Amino acid sequence: MSGRGGISGVKRPRPGSNGSKELTADEHNVYNLIKSKGDMGIWKGDIRKELNITNAKTIDNCVKSLLLKQMIKEVPNVQAKGKKRLMAMEFEPSKELTGGVWYHEGMLDEDLIDNLKRVCLQRLSKQKVATADGMRHEIKMTGVFQVDFTVEQMKDILDNLVLEKQISRVKSNGMGELASFPINAECYKLKSQRAKVGDFSMIPCGVCPRINHCAPDGVISPVTCVYYTKWLEF
Amino acid sequence: MAALTPFGIKLAVHIITTDFGNLVSKICECLLRRGTLSKALISRFTELPQDKVKKCLWVLIQHNCVQAFALEQEGGGKDTTVVVTQYMALFNNIIHRLRFPKFMSIVSKEQDTKVRSSDTHQESFTKLVRCRFVERCPAPEPLISLPNEGDTPAKKGGGRNKVFMKEVTLEERALAAAIPMDAERFSISYDQGVDSDEEKIESKISGLKVGEKRKQDSLDWDSELDTMGGKKEPACVEHVRAEYDNVAAVILKSMLEGAKHTVSSVSLSLDSIFEEVIKSKEGLTMEHLRYSLEQLDFCSETNDVYTINMKDIIKKAQLEEVECIVKKRYGIEAFRIFRSLTNGRPLDTDKISERTFVDKKNTPQTLYKLWKDNYILMEKVTTGGPRQADFFLWSVKKGNLWHQILDELYHAALNLCLRYAYEVDQEREIQNLSIENPSPEVKERRMRLRNVRILLDSSLMKLDDAVMIFHDFLL
Repeated sequence: MSGRGGISGVKRPRPGSNGSKELTADEHNVYNLIKSKGDMGIWKGDIRKELNITNAKTIDNCVKSLLLKQMIKEVPNVQAKGKKRLMAMEFEPSKELTGGVWYHEGMLDEDLIDNLKRVCLQRLSKQKVATADGMRHEIKMTGVFQVDFTVEQMKDILDNLVLEKQISRVKSNGMGELASFPINAECYKLKSQRAKVGDFSMIPCGVCPRINHCAPDGVISPVTCVYYTKWLEF
Repeated sequence: MAALTPFGIKLAVHIITTDFGNLVSKICECLLRRGTLSKALISRFTELPQDKVKKCLWVLIQHNCVQAFALEQEGGGKDTTVVVTQYMALFNNIIHRLRFPKFMSIVSKEQDTKVRSSDTHQESFTKLVRCRFVERCPAPEPLISLPNEGDTPAKKGGGRNKVFMKEVTLEERALAAAIPMDAERFSISYDQGVDSDEEKIESKISGLKVGEKRKQDSLDWDSELDTMGGKKEPACVEHVRAEYDNVAAVILKSMLEGAKHTVSSVSLSLDSIFEEVIKSKEGLTMEHLRYSLEQLDFCSETNDVYTINMKDIIKKAQLEEVECIVKKRYGIEAFRIFRSLTNGRPLDTDKISERTFVDKKNTPQTLYKLWKDNYILMEKVTTGGPRQADFFLWSVKKGNLWHQILDELYHAALNLCLRYAYEVDQEREIQNLSIENPSPEVKERRMRLRNVRILLDSSLMKLDDAVMIFHDFLL
């Protein structure tokens, strides 16, 4: 791999070759810079800054040529969608760029996450309590998913369900339904009741996006409010 | 006066306007907005003649919406003092006026089995006092004297053991002086001269002067809304039911009943809790009880004595209410984001995105919406070094947010009241029509108005549960 960049010794094109390794000085510099960035790659705009090349067109041409020669590739960046990174072919994009296991082609893999959450809830409704490792094992046994998840990934999913208040996190005290878990083990438990609907959010004002513009004698007022009128339709 | 917010004042003024008219509400609004004032100043600010101000103040004091107190002030000459009567609006008591239906339902529910028709009025009354539904009226005009030099806390004080004392406001001093001591507050000592209960009640109304409207020794009573038994209890029990399970709710309810009166913390032994719990939940074993108690975050245990901290439950209930608002207004992603920040630790945008499974592209937008409406705070942090980078840290600051939510709750309560008045006003003509043989259209409109009133009334009572949870947000 290290030999790829060392093409300074090549004097002339060999007959019959596709010329993929023929690089101009600029292309060579650009390629070396991109390669030096490893699995993080580099944004086109940053190449210009780092190489002090004033003409943007030169960079464009170099990149185009390197892409055609399949020496570099464009990688989507989850942090900034408009700023695709350029990376040497031999590298795989880092977790920071791809977003990790929960991202697919730069997009959050919502289908995978939702399916996993659904299966976790199903299993918890049967078992009542489980640890992240136990859940991982359960999911593996179901064979619904092609990939093997790690305990950390299961924790991510279960913690997300805790954030949604669908389940709660409890520390085992070795009593009752937690008797089969070691003391202090972190367990996840299905909530016995659905989350309470807030007293405020049950009336139109509780969900009104315009409450800050509403005043008794204002343009928006409880007397003229369309949400109220709809609410009081019988 | 932590609960005094802009819309809180508007709501209080609306309540007073509805109950006592524009003139009285003008005086009340003046006191609410400007703070404690003398009669002369009220007259000046409201541009009303002093005799009218006096009459309005009578009404307000009579209904416990204003407290008068005599304030000792330095006079013109050397070592001379003058005493000026000051009037302060009692915001909480004004808001309590909305709660009469709720108060009556609690009293009738609790007293239903205890108060029978055979009981004399006196017995019923005694029971109401004993249950703290009724309390002795505050002193008519307590004297607040000038602070002695020795009373003022030293401005400078060093050392590790320095204790910061919260400065007591003039209003707090006046209220403390006016409210009788606990033993007297709920004690009964009848006047010999007053025989029947009707006469006693009459004595409450007759012969009142400003500042002297109630004589402490006469038997005057106020419905005790302030210690309205379990005013927060039902909301706390419901919160625990949703957060944990039915058993946890039964345990909390039983412990509160076992403790008789609501205080900030309740301690009971395991046996006592068990005794209380099996009254309402048969078949619960001691082991199950112990297990359930262990699961409660707000409950601590020392030597089989369990202590529940009401403040912790109220704090959680407040948080839950705000979370519900966020979920309904901004959606499930914002709900997850908000919840990830409620432990008080600031997080940067990427970390929030990772934790909450919100697409990195959408996270800043959702955070911006929450920040714009003051639900979260933002702090820009720039890292040093050769390549500077900007990070945005996000956090939830409960104090400010809770104040905003309380104001929105008052705003919503005011809106419910205004809409109620509007709906009733719109249908005034059909209310005046004869009841016999109404046309189908009138029948339909009457039915609609009935439904509207029920919905608005019940919503106001439900909303008030949230107001009471937030009222003491500085707990």
